[in-house]
Amino acid sequence: MLLQKTLSKSNKTDLYLDLVELTSGLLLVGFLWTHMLFVATILISQDTFNKLSEFLDTYYLSYIGIPFIIVIALFHFVIAGRRIPTRIQEQRIVWRHAKMLRHTDTWTWVFQTITGMAILVLGGIHVWMITTGWPIRAINSAERMESFWWFYLVLLIVGEYHAGFGIYRQFVKWGWFPRKPIGYISKVITAIILVLGLAAMVVFVQLGGTL
Amino acid sequence: MADRELTFEIFRYNPQKPETKPYLQTYKLKETTGMTVFVALNMIREEQDPSLMFDFVCRAAICGSCAMIINGRPRLACKTLTKTLPAKIKLFPLPVFKLIGDLSVDTGTWFRHLSLKTESWIHTSKTFDPKAQEERMDNKTALEIYEAERCIECGCCIAGCATANIREDFLGAAGINRVARFMVDPRDERTPEQYFEVVGSEEGAFGCMGLMACDDNCPMELPLQMQLAFVRRKIAKIGLGVKEKKGVKLA
Repeated sequence: MLLQKTLSKSNKTDLYLDLVELTSGLLLVGFLWTHMLFVATILISQDTFNKLSEFLDTYYLSYIGIPFIIVIALFHFVIAGRRIPTRIQEQRIVWRHAKMLRHTDTWTWVFQTITGMAILVLGGIHVWMITTGWPIRAINSAERMESFWWFYLVLLIVGEYHAGFGIYRQFVKWGWFPRKPIGYISKVITAIILVLGLAAMVVFVQLGGTL
Repeated sequence: MADRELTFEIFRYNPQKPETKPYLQTYKLKETTGMTVFVALNMIREEQDPSLMFDFVCRAAICGSCAMIINGRPRLACKTLTKTLPAKIKLFPLPVFKLIGDLSVDTGTWFRHLSLKTESWIHTSKTFDPKAQEERMDNKTALEIYEAERCIECGCCIAGCATANIREDFLGAAGINRVARFMVDPRDERTPEQYFEVVGSEEGAFGCMGLMACDDNCPMELPLQMQLAFVRRKIAKIGLGVKEKKGVKLA
């Protein structure tokens, strides 16, 4: 019995933190996949893309949605991030452990934490670029994409990686479905979203070139 | 296959002799048919180096003593055939557990602590009557309990777990599986709140990050993912005050 641990023990905190991690993660995955589907409307036509963006503006959905997602993302960063080993010795143990074990899910988790950090920085820049270049129209996006396609390529890959494996891991932890099919389904969805994202990028860059 | 020469690189360190730093020692051995790592270790100890320390009792994957890191993965030496391995075999003791020397670790103290912490015994108000007929249990429940009880406490799930490697107080798959076993047992009279007290924290159900190295490395192939998830869901329900249907035990 240690005094400091006994006094600081809170019965339900760990449960609530776990649930916040789960809920914020699911919301963010839902957001990201919707976001990418919206972006992919450029594959249909510029007009569809613009109309959708105007629609989101008219009904204030962007103005509610963006701050909401920023708050959720920050919560997710702090609360899911509590799992990341912070002491140097712990870091050494985890890296050594992952190299020794050569276990896929252990490695994907190591990259999960790295992509999480990357998203915090790159996502922050992305939000800044979008909000300062408001509104979102096909032409603006095409200009941005033509200049910074490499930035968006990295963000797309790390974002989809983090979302795909994140949702897989939550399903594994809560055991609602068997592990193998969930792994397969999350990979297929991630692949589809990646293809859509890449295709949208190509269209945007071409559009940017014609400007 | 049977005429391969195997090269064993074995971790050597004796905490009693800290002046000799840990090192890898190489042994060469001719492979024989049906050879396991356990057989090879015994041959090395008999023919080449009597000072080599490693644990074994049953040599039949029942006692769980001979768990070690074989080529990076936690395995039972007695259940690992050398023919499934490359000619170069690296052996390390299990991490997390106290090192006794070379490949030998003390899993006993760790598992005793686990038993005490999870109070791994039937909590009942009934007095045992040796003359009474044994209480009946339906077959499904008995099988569920048996499935969890197949754990031989070898420690492979703990050694493979990244969380257990960095958080000393984490119960790991073996611990949570143990709690699952009591949760489905109708003879155990612990209330849901008492179970929450035992594993409703990051030391228990919520400490698992879902890396599943336990599930992938369990020599007994226990359904650890489902056991961990089962306890996580039940404990979350208890914590949130979701009532289970009347007359149904936690399962």
